[in-house]
Amino acid sequence: MSAADLLPLLVAVPLAFAGLTVLLRRHVVGASLLVVTLVGVLVTSVVLIARHASTPVLASGVGGYPAGVAIPFVSDTLTALMLAVTSLATLATTAWLIMTGETRYRFVVPLVLLLVAGVNGALLTGDLFNLFVFIEVMLLPSYALLALTGGWRRLGVGRLFVVVNLVNSAVLLIGVAFVYGTAGTVNIAALAGRGVQDDRTGLAVAMVLVALAVKAGIVPVHTWLPRSYPATSPGVMSLFAALHTKVALYAIYRIYSVVYDGQASWIGIVVVLAAVTAVVGAVSTLGESTFRHAMAYQMVAGVGHILIGVVVFTQASLAGGLLYLAHHVITMAALLLTGGAIEHTYGSHRFDRLSRLMTREPWAATVVALGLLSLVGLPPTSGLWGKLLLIVGAAEAPGWQAWLLVGAIVLASIISIIALQRLWSEIFWGPSMETYRTDNARTRISEPVPLPDDVRIPARMLAPGTAMIAVSVAIFVGIGLLSPVVDRAAAGLGDSTAYVEAVLR
Amino acid sequence: MITFVLIGVLVAGGTFLIQQRSLVKVIFGLSLWSHAANFILLSAGVAAWRAEPLADRTAAADAADPLPQAFVLTAIVITMAVTVFMLALAMIGHNDDTRRMPETGEVHDR
Repeated sequence: MSAADLLPLLVAVPLAFAGLTVLLRRHVVGASLLVVTLVGVLVTSVVLIARHASTPVLASGVGGYPAGVAIPFVSDTLTALMLAVTSLATLATTAWLIMTGETRYRFVVPLVLLLVAGVNGALLTGDLFNLFVFIEVMLLPSYALLALTGGWRRLGVGRLFVVVNLVNSAVLLIGVAFVYGTAGTVNIAALAGRGVQDDRTGLAVAMVLVALAVKAGIVPVHTWLPRSYPATSPGVMSLFAALHTKVALYAIYRIYSVVYDGQASWIGIVVVLAAVTAVVGAVSTLGESTFRHAMAYQMVAGVGHILIGVVVFTQASLAGGLLYLAHHVITMAALLLTGGAIEHTYGSHRFDRLSRLMTREPWAATVVALGLLSLVGLPPTSGLWGKLLLIVGAAEAPGWQAWLLVGAIVLASIISIIALQRLWSEIFWGPSMETYRTDNARTRISEPVPLPDDVRIPARMLAPGTAMIAVSVAIFVGIGLLSPVVDRAAAGLGDSTAYVEAVLR
Repeated sequence: MITFVLIGVLVAGGTFLIQQRSLVKVIFGLSLWSHAANFILLSAGVAAWRAEPLADRTAAADAADPLPQAFVLTAIVITMAVTVFMLALAMIGHNDDTRRMPETGEVHDR
């Protein structure tokens, strides 16, 4: 019994609590179990990050079967970092859901716990088929959350979301089948280097990567994301933003680095796609007229940026990509939760129904302003380091790729500034608001009524977003503390020998 | 050989049905797709290079690989859960193309 054998508990405990909270229907019990679980995952991941300084990889084969046969749960610095970032964002979102009372809807607490179990499993597993299973465990509660909260359009987009993900899961499964057929194993560590040694295995794993790319929302297969996410409630969108695409991106990082050693012959195509994704996301933000639709396209742009880290595949670019990933999750959660608080109080996230919130809500305006600065990569936020390290990394790409990638980052940033400046001036400047729409929980459609002077966003609803933007500012100041961890995670990807040896020992 | 023809037919039919407007047809299409995926999984470990797992006729070393069969079982369970959910979606959201709010029968009072 070693510390590694406790890793499956990160999946088992949320699963068990999910079952328990279905039985114990008291809201206090459910909400506290949820918070306790998330704090537990956060603390565990910080302990793991500290431990990985001396032991780079912890691996445990479930059931005590010999290595190579057992289904492995693996944690290295990257996994622990991802666990920390996702659980932090989930914790903030959970706090927001509790403040707005959305956790009181039936089954929301167990569904979020199931989602957490699926995410932790997908991050920890070292087996392709198990990855498919955990992605399904993550998606099933998401389908239900999508149908439970949000506007009535959720039913229409629910179909879109489910159909896209289901077709995509079939592609993922077929890819896993081809991997098993050509390589005889689906253990990621056992597949190390096989992608470049055997073209058939390389093609099969590429199919898995294509399926993950759809889940991540890469252009040209991104359109499901900005159409479905904004139709949910702000809290659920914040959960999805922090978890779904990021887990897919993590899997792409892991599989590409172990199976192909970072040198697939077709990577040039993905270089172009990453650059196009960043620019398309930024340009599309210009055309949106609600807060959360704009944020959804910024997520697409973020996916393009994060991918740059893995397509260039040098120590600097991997570190830049991973730091950008962590920064993006934190910033997005801060923006969505604060925007959600505005939407919850003033009944809309449309630009034409909100104006001059700068004077009414100076606190929310400050948080959103910092968040927008962080998105485009300006100080005093984590965005500056994210963009800076990413550009330094992208510049190491060979030949035309470096020009293309750096150009895409700069172009996307400039277009994002223009687009987000419009968002800012529409919502926070302009004539003062005369009417607003009170939240009608049943229909979500209500007539505008005169806005009284004393309507303000409650401080408790702004707290989660404020906490997240504080983390972003803290990363700006304390980058020296985070940067060694990100470097270690990138080193583990660049040279996956330790990962493979720990799993197959 | 017959497995591969079957997979081709299932994928072709599924692809046609997924592109229909009605959600129920889409669900049928997805079912065909997932059956195709299951057959591909089976053929990856069984038909490709191994014999039938019958005790008297095949040595254990040549018998079919049990792992893809376990994969298929897991995949079937997942597909069934999602199909049930999608059928429910097809029911409660069947008139969501219109501007009117569909009657879902739910009340979100807090």
